[in-house]
Amino acid sequence: MYYDGSRTEPTLRAWGLCKSFGTGEMRTEALRDVGIELYPGQFSLLMGPSGSGKSTLLAVLSGLLHPDSGRVLAHDQDLWAMTERQREEFRLRHCGFIFQGYNLFPALTARQQLEMVLRWGKGYSASEARRRADQMLSTLGLAKKGDLRPMQLSGGEKQRVAIGRALIKDPTFLFADEPTAALDWKHGEQVVELLRAAAHDAGATILVVAHDARMVPYADRVFHLDDGVLAEGVERPMAMFADSRDVAAFGAI
Amino acid sequence: MSYAISTLWHERARFFPGVLAVAFSALLIALQCGLLLGLFSITSIPIDESDADIWVAHPEVPSVDLGRPIPEAWASYLAMPEVVRVEPYMEGFGYWDKPTGGMELCLVIGSRLGPGAMGPVRQLTAEHRALLAQPGAIVVDEAEMGRLGISKVGDYTEIVGKQVRVVGTVRGLRSLAGPYVFCSLETARSILRPPPDQTTFLLVRCRSKEDIPTVVERLKKYDRKLMAMAAEDFSVRSRWHWLTKTKAGIALGLAAILGLMVGAVVTYQTLRSATVASLKEYAVLRALGIPRRHVIGLVVGQSFWVGLAGIAISIPLIHSLAIVGNIGAKVLLPWWLWTAAISITMTVAMLSGLLALRTLRHVEPVTLLR
Ligand SMILES: Nc1ncnc2c1ncn2[C@@H]1O[C@H](COP(=O)(O)OP(=O)(O)OP(=O)(O)O)[C@@H](O)[C@H]1O
Ligand SMILES: [Mg+2]
Repeated sequence: MYYDGSRTEPTLRAWGLCKSFGTGEMRTEALRDVGIELYPGQFSLLMGPSGSGKSTLLAVLSGLLHPDSGRVLAHDQDLWAMTERQREEFRLRHCGFIFQGYNLFPALTARQQLEMVLRWGKGYSASEARRRADQMLSTLGLAKKGDLRPMQLSGGEKQRVAIGRALIKDPTFLFADEPTAALDWKHGEQVVELLRAAAHDAGATILVVAHDARMVPYADRVFHLDDGVLAEGVERPMAMFADSRDVAAFGAI
Repeated sequence: MSYAISTLWHERARFFPGVLAVAFSALLIALQCGLLLGLFSITSIPIDESDADIWVAHPEVPSVDLGRPIPEAWASYLAMPEVVRVEPYMEGFGYWDKPTGGMELCLVIGSRLGPGAMGPVRQLTAEHRALLAQPGAIVVDEAEMGRLGISKVGDYTEIVGKQVRVVGTVRGLRSLAGPYVFCSLETARSILRPPPDQTTFLLVRCRSKEDIPTVVERLKKYDRKLMAMAAEDFSVRSRWHWLTKTKAGIALGLAAILGLMVGAVVTYQTLRSATVASLKEYAVLRALGIPRRHVIGLVVGQSFWVGLAGIAISIPLIHSLAIVGNIGAKVLLPWWLWTAAISITMTVAMLSGLLALRTLRHVEPVTLLR
């Protein structure tokens, strides 16, 4: 099922977002009057040079970082008018996260990393959590790796476990900050496919911060952030990819 | 809990110092206290190794070796059906003339020796008892002979000017203060020269053990200047007196607290470093909206299992070290000492875990987004 943005209401709307860090000489304007609308079933990329404010925007949209001004409506609820506790509950019900590092518990098996979220987050029984974890692992192509610990998994496998942890509670929003940064393109592509499938099959709203221009063809929408200013589309390709690796990558498309 | 155990097992190298510290604390507390209990159990040897059910004494007697004269006539209070036997027991300190020169304070203990007598310590054999019937005959601990300046059985010396002869030796009855000198009631009287018709204690044997509390209660009513205690209670009173009087209790307390502190610090550091190592993972859980209490439970669970593992290691260690210790000294490990050592160290482990929880304040999901 494909969710057509033109016929659905946005699940996430934000406008007037400003965020700065530091004061005086040290002051950085990470976000300058950013507005964005995201639709269910869409896999959106957020690109931009280093330090342009991508992670900051992700944090503000996902309820992890308080903006200086502006509003974020997620499912028509004002994220930054909620109490801390309510926001936490909102994240529990609706948000999945994938971070750059894998951040897996070294002592726990792949299955346990997933089970934990269901048992602690949703109060599932041990057997139900296990069943769902195994299901998720086979979706991720990790059916045989359930009993392995992070040390025994490859980087790509670890990132897939981390994706499983983000997806297992069926989030309506999935926020990922450079999920493929540590992977080669072969494995990065797998990850992108998985995220895209999560959007298109489960109707999740997915926003992924990415450097790699090879991801662009997979995206439904591409946003570009430059020095805290957001624009949609890949308007200034050469300026956008500041480092040579990215320029080369872009040239390859 | 299962995640805590998994973590503990798979990162055992990380948790091992904490486990060891808990074991060390438990070991230190148990052995320190056990050694001290063993040491002070020596002060109640005359009670513990003899056969009386009740000891009647002057009310101000704090310990069995600090007896005071009481009238032998108090025996008349004991004319009751529950009492089957009463005998006097003489005891007091006297200066022992060392044949090698110098003096040594010793504790002279004189009791009845005949069949069924309550006073003599078990270590005195039938042969000893027969020999002790001679005036001036005494028995001392083999290990005290050097201290008393004698070299063999049969040696003569004087206690407070009264000639005595060593007719035998026993083992395992070394004392904390002056060496014990065991003899007959008559010999003790001739050495200690108490006022006429006075004794130090009256020993009582009851018809059955169940009668002991009844008899003690009844004696208390007769005369307020009289102290009657079941043998076990008097034994505890004697040990407690020396434990507190010598301030050894304080030394023990300090040593135990020091051990606990070392244990607490190491355990805390271990749990803290384990928590810090997982801060990013915890932050992911927080980002996903997993309630804080589950993470807290995980850390507290870890401290619980660290505590339990440490105690599990310490139990065989304490046992074997107590056996080794018993060669040179005496280590007493009553059940309440085990309970106390285990619960104190467990509490410290749990408290360390609670302290380590403070590091969870650094869990900020936003730091994962950079
Ligand atoms: N906690 C903070 N304190 C001070 N400055 C910050 C903080 N977080 C971010 N910044 C600044 O805000 C700006 C945007 O940071 P952000 O992490 O959003 O960039 P980014 O686009 O994610 O960069 P990258 O691609 O390198 O991850 C940067 O200049 C950064 O130095
Ligand atoms: Mg970033």
